[in-house]
Amino acid sequence: MKNYTFICIIASLFLAYISGAGCKKLEIKETTTNDPNVMDYLRNDSLNRFTKLISVIDKAGYETALNTYGTYTFFAPTNDAIDAYLKAHNANSIDDLPKEDLQKMLQFHLLSDPILTSSFNDGKLSSITDFGQYLVTSVVNTAGVSSYVVNRQAKITQPNIMVGNGVIHAIDHVLTPSLLTLAQLIEQDDSYSIFTQALKETGFYDTLNITKNKNGAQVWLTVLAQKDQVYIDSSIQNYAQLKAKYCNTGDPKRTDDSLHLYMAYHILPDIKYLADIVTSNSQETLVPLEVITDKFVNNKVLINDDSYTTIDGIVNEPGVELDLATSDRSATNGVLHNALGGFGIKIRKPFPVYWDLCATQPELTRLSSIYRKKTYLFDYGDSTNNTFKDVKWEKSCLKYRTGVKGYLGDYWQMGMGRSSSNTSNLGTCSGNSWIEFTTPLLVKGKYKVWFCYYTQNSTVSAVQALFDSVPLTSALIEFNKKISSVDPAQEASLAAVGWKWWAISSEKAGATAARMLGIVDVKATGRHKIRFQLVSGANADCNFDMVHFIPVDWPSQTSPRFSKTGSIEY
Amino acid sequence: MRLNSIYQIAIITAIMGIFTGCSKKFDLKPSDGIIRNNFWQTKEQVRAAVIGCYAALMGDPNGGKSLAETLFTWGELRGDLLTAALGTTAADLEIMNVNTQATNTITDWRPVYKIINYCNTVLDYAPSVLDKDKTFTQDLLNGYLAEVKTIRALMYFYLARSFGEVPLKLISTSSDEEIMQIAKSSRQEVLAQVLKDLNEAEPMAVLSYGNQATDKGRITRYTINTIQADVYLWMEKYPEAVAACDKVINSKKFGLIANSSAWFTTLFRNGNSAESIFEIEFDQQKLNVFYSMLGTGTRRFEASNKVMDQIYTTEINLFTNALDIRSDGASVRAQDNVIWKYIGNNATDMISADGSYTHWFFYRYADVLLMKAEALAQLPGKGQEALDLVTLIRQRAGAPETTNNAPDVNNIDQLSLFILDERAREFAFEGKRWYDVLRYAKKNDYQNIAYLQDFVSSLVPANSVRTVQAKMLDHNSHYFPVYIYELQTNKQLVQNPFYQ
Repeated sequence: MKNYTFICIIASLFLAYISGAGCKKLEIKETTTNDPNVMDYLRNDSLNRFTKLISVIDKAGYETALNTYGTYTFFAPTNDAIDAYLKAHNANSIDDLPKEDLQKMLQFHLLSDPILTSSFNDGKLSSITDFGQYLVTSVVNTAGVSSYVVNRQAKITQPNIMVGNGVIHAIDHVLTPSLLTLAQLIEQDDSYSIFTQALKETGFYDTLNITKNKNGAQVWLTVLAQKDQVYIDSSIQNYAQLKAKYCNTGDPKRTDDSLHLYMAYHILPDIKYLADIVTSNSQETLVPLEVITDKFVNNKVLINDDSYTTIDGIVNEPGVELDLATSDRSATNGVLHNALGGFGIKIRKPFPVYWDLCATQPELTRLSSIYRKKTYLFDYGDSTNNTFKDVKWEKSCLKYRTGVKGYLGDYWQMGMGRSSSNTSNLGTCSGNSWIEFTTPLLVKGKYKVWFCYYTQNSTVSAVQALFDSVPLTSALIEFNKKISSVDPAQEASLAAVGWKWWAISSEKAGATAARMLGIVDVKATGRHKIRFQLVSGANADCNFDMVHFIPVDWPSQTSPRFSKTGSIEY
Repeated sequence: MRLNSIYQIAIITAIMGIFTGCSKKFDLKPSDGIIRNNFWQTKEQVRAAVIGCYAALMGDPNGGKSLAETLFTWGELRGDLLTAALGTTAADLEIMNVNTQATNTITDWRPVYKIINYCNTVLDYAPSVLDKDKTFTQDLLNGYLAEVKTIRALMYFYLARSFGEVPLKLISTSSDEEIMQIAKSSRQEVLAQVLKDLNEAEPMAVLSYGNQATDKGRITRYTINTIQADVYLWMEKYPEAVAACDKVINSKKFGLIANSSAWFTTLFRNGNSAESIFEIEFDQQKLNVFYSMLGTGTRRFEASNKVMDQIYTTEINLFTNALDIRSDGASVRAQDNVIWKYIGNNATDMISADGSYTHWFFYRYADVLLMKAEALAQLPGKGQEALDLVTLIRQRAGAPETTNNAPDVNNIDQLSLFILDERAREFAFEGKRWYDVLRYAKKNDYQNIAYLQDFVSSLVPANSVRTVQAKMLDHNSHYFPVYIYELQTNKQLVQNPFYQ
């Protein structure tokens, strides 16, 4: 009996366990993460900083959107920020503001990509707000504490709050979008009165006053405006005098009028904050093929501050500064910068460029133990790790050859179609099929392109040059071919068929040859690319010494001539 | 009843079964090691523990990041001598672009605190050995304590300069139960502790161990004086810094290695030279990370163009008819900007992977001279004396005239700047650049903050120059964030406000 009781107890306990377990509801996890989403975070904020923002979101009907899957950046204004915003709009409560206004306000705080403060820079954020305007960022130091500032309006009080569907930055003021177009922004500022009138007279006011083009696409422009004081400093007291100075047709609305072009030169397509401008060296303008060059030196953004090398030395054209403090003003269709000096389209006559391919590479010339001292093989650099900023080649190494009969006693030597020769037992580089150089500054105009080489190896090969990817067709480079004569009496007739010798009279030889490869029409002043591409054959010692860009109407295509010591003979 | 008896037997058997394994199973002593109660018995064991602290400087036995790598990155990443190469990591770039986040693994201070813990262990347990080993003398003990106190001080000095405020942990941790949550101490408290350790160690430390290699690889009293000078300089206590330097200089035990073809090999590759004060002595058994970091095709860093273009310049010295001896073939290989100091066999041949044991140089005599010059430069009427010391360094190196700014000896700022530039030339890639720049910028209540703003603007892309310049105005940005792992595990820690 005792045993029976024992078994009974065990059995009933077992049953109780089974039935108990069966009652429990099976919990299935339906989310992939426990991270709160934007809305959950705002609601559960331990400091209750966002209660008013939540009401705004509720009223705007954005609650669901902010709590669904996504990768947002949300700038979350705190309660104090919303109070200040209401006060500024003479509203007592959120209910006093229409739903559409609140929606627009939220759109301006919301981006569709998550952007952490680590990718903020001096300019606009990399993606646009849902409202359709960019936000700009900066860092401001107050009382020794540096913090990120958004749109010059709000300080980030807590950055980079990671949530399930993006990132939140808490801000201390509501962000308000710009309501003015570029035209209105300039007109509103009295100190731009001459510039404004010129915009109106040339018709650019209307260009700057639209936010959508006729296809309905957003218009983005950048204006580099000049204040009245800049004009007054250059003795232009009013618009009439500006017109008198520039307008050549009498009708500034004509697209070929000089004043029209002058104003078009002050407008850049696309939206370019200073931070965007300084990341590239030249900017297109609304004048076709006329660019503005720019540089960032000593904390100044300078435009059209150019120096170029002529045979007589370096010429420097001082540029105009864009003021950091009063530039980067956002408008609904672009951004406005303030130029502290007057600038217009540069009229430069093309001048010849006698370009030594070695001496213009700073990465080479600063190597005092190598440059003009010893032959050296430079390692191949891929696109991220440039050996030379301005020289690219297909593969393997590139030989710098010195102590030879080139201008300055050096040249680049490359095996094209076969490995290079083993100079000084340094080893060989694999055969390349192309090499490309970035030219020095070329003023727009037409040039004859002469390629200067030194004939060394007699194997037959043909190499074609391409200027900005356009093949030059007058002649191919045959590194094995010498010039037929270096007799001054033959100079003119040889030049007529595209041959000259480049060496001074005491060094001239059939091997110091140059070919006229073709005529290039340089459309825009700036730096361009010239590429040498193997067409046929192979030559282990292709010697690249100089390229001459000589304007077609220049008095001489054959003079001056160059020596291995560096001297020049006119 | 039958059932019951089987049941009982079964239970008894089971219990017996459990207890038979007892004697082995409940013995917690490791079979392949020694526990603390059995250690700390003899003076040899104390010595082994002290040497263990030095061994830890070479690298983490458990494979963590080595101290040399940590100190190299802390001192150089924020400087202007490095540039990115193929193997640069995202974490490196973040710091190089003045964009450090608390998740950056380079800001993990564990490699340093591990060494501090080894030192703390010796400090806690070595004194008890006096009672157990009668051949162990107070003098010998004092010598050991001086060594570990100095290592601890040096580690805290690095932490203070890198993080500003750090938790001061002065007793050892040996098990998980003992892990304590410690709050950060202020910068002053940390530096005061560093000085306290150094000042206590100074009279107890030995002057020499009797052989050159040991004198350079272990702490002597001169090492302590050198660190004192560095700490005083950082605290802007200039007369004290001069006094500390003088103790080293007046010992007449150190000198500069003369300019010769063997200069690089003697001073750097072989190490332990007469110029050396304290080094981490890597050897064939314990290699450093520098070959893979700086020598391979996928190297992590290269020298910036500025190093040859501006810092040394490619001009030659008219008397030696050569470049600055510290430039091409010493600090860098100019033709491809390879950082040469740790991977050169001599001025031209690179070491191979199994030869990566060039020492890490904490301090050299040149440092003592330049520290003294820097301190003198801040004191009225001592300008000429300061300049003479710098000239001594420049003459040894055969520095060309182009790098001679010829400062006015009565102009503190010109002189300080000249010394700062000279330090860049002398100690390139020795993990000192950022600390030197910061020390210059922060003195006299951040008198030269503008220099620091200019300095960083040359390091970052053009589109974030103004952002980083404004960041520099916040002094907390000059110090690293506390690594996120530390914040999670030690709830007492408060993040540096700049990174909050």
